[in-house]
Amino acid sequence: MRLAQHVKFREERFGGVLFETRSEKVYTLTPTAAAVLQELVAGRPGTDIAPSLAVRYDAPQDAIARDVQAFLEDLREKGLVED
Amino acid sequence: MSAVAASEALAAPLYVAWQITNECNLACLHCIEESGPGKAFPDELDRESAMRVIDQLLEHEVPYLSFSGGEPMLHPHFFEMAERVTSHGTQLKIETNGHYLTPDNCRRLREIGVKAVQVSLDGASSATFGRMRVRGEFDKTVAGIRNLVAAGVPVEINFSPASFNVHEAARIVDLAFELGAVSFYSGKTMFTGNAVKAWHHLAVTDEQYAEYFRTLAIKRDEYRGRMRVSYHEAGLLEELRYRLQHPAALLIVLPNGLVKLINALPFVCGDLRTEPLAKVWTNFRRAWHDPRVASFVDELAVDPGRTRSLHQLVHV
Repeated sequence: MRLAQHVKFREERFGGVLFETRSEKVYTLTPTAAAVLQELVAGRPGTDIAPSLAVRYDAPQDAIARDVQAFLEDLREKGLVED
Repeated sequence: MSAVAASEALAAPLYVAWQITNECNLACLHCIEESGPGKAFPDELDRESAMRVIDQLLEHEVPYLSFSGGEPMLHPHFFEMAERVTSHGTQLKIETNGHYLTPDNCRRLREIGVKAVQVSLDGASSATFGRMRVRGEFDKTVAGIRNLVAAGVPVEINFSPASFNVHEAARIVDLAFELGAVSFYSGKTMFTGNAVKAWHHLAVTDEQYAEYFRTLAIKRDEYRGRMRVSYHEAGLLEELRYRLQHPAALLIVLPNGLVKLINALPFVCGDLRTEPLAKVWTNFRRAWHDPRVASFVDELAVDPGRTRSLHQLVHV
């Protein structure tokens, strides 16, 4: 999974932004959502993101996995990521 | 995840619209920049200065740039500048009149990896196109669009309505699709720049606009999923009042490196020849709250002719 061709990600102090440049629509991201995008942009496979974040934030992997899955699904529905 | 990003909170602009030259081969009736043959600014950025500006934008991870003009493809370093932008993954749109879109140039644009090329097509026929685009050639523009499509470059068509072409609304959208465009965009033609002098030729009545936008709504539905048809019904004053409350994270860079708040206001908030982008961005966000900006918009409501002074720049 990777960012769609016309989507750019930038980290910000409040988290991050996703910019879909075809529609020129901007999405603001919380720090947690931005952390998921950092992993994705770094090339980590979607299935490996939750375990990585669980280690990084010392949090239960099951709960993180559900949130990451839902978030990635949302990104996919909006056409912001592609396989 | 929210679809709104307040520019106040961002570390850098998200979009930079750069008019890389004011020189143009055409002299369009509605040109906000009053571009034309021989209209290059005497102090336009040289190659080194332009590259320094690009490097600053890349360093600050500005994700999206557009090159416009004037006619941007007349800039002597156009391709070199475009390549510098895209080689770092930044998305670049070119806004052109389409007269320099030879097969070779289109192949280069494809190789460089521009996101899209927006071509102004202000008429569905040679007669209407020629009235708006003085010195322009309809057939040459259409051929340029075909060359882009053949090269695999995404094409966006932009259409400015006027009294003499507004009746072509349905035909122009159909033509954009037939030519292979991925999107079509239109909005009201603004009472700015050359349009102020040519308004008696251009002015579209409220009734004509109502019919125009009804047609575009039908076309938007007709082409849904095949070509994006989008349009903006707000007039200049409504747009500026909205921007006062919600400044976009967008810098307008002039050919000489000065930075404007927005095209349709005379206010300058920085100079990329002498100031770092971070400083200009900080000043941009402050300048939108300068009382002179709101006053100018209020004055426009009383006297639309205030747009005559758009090029008498005011530093804020």
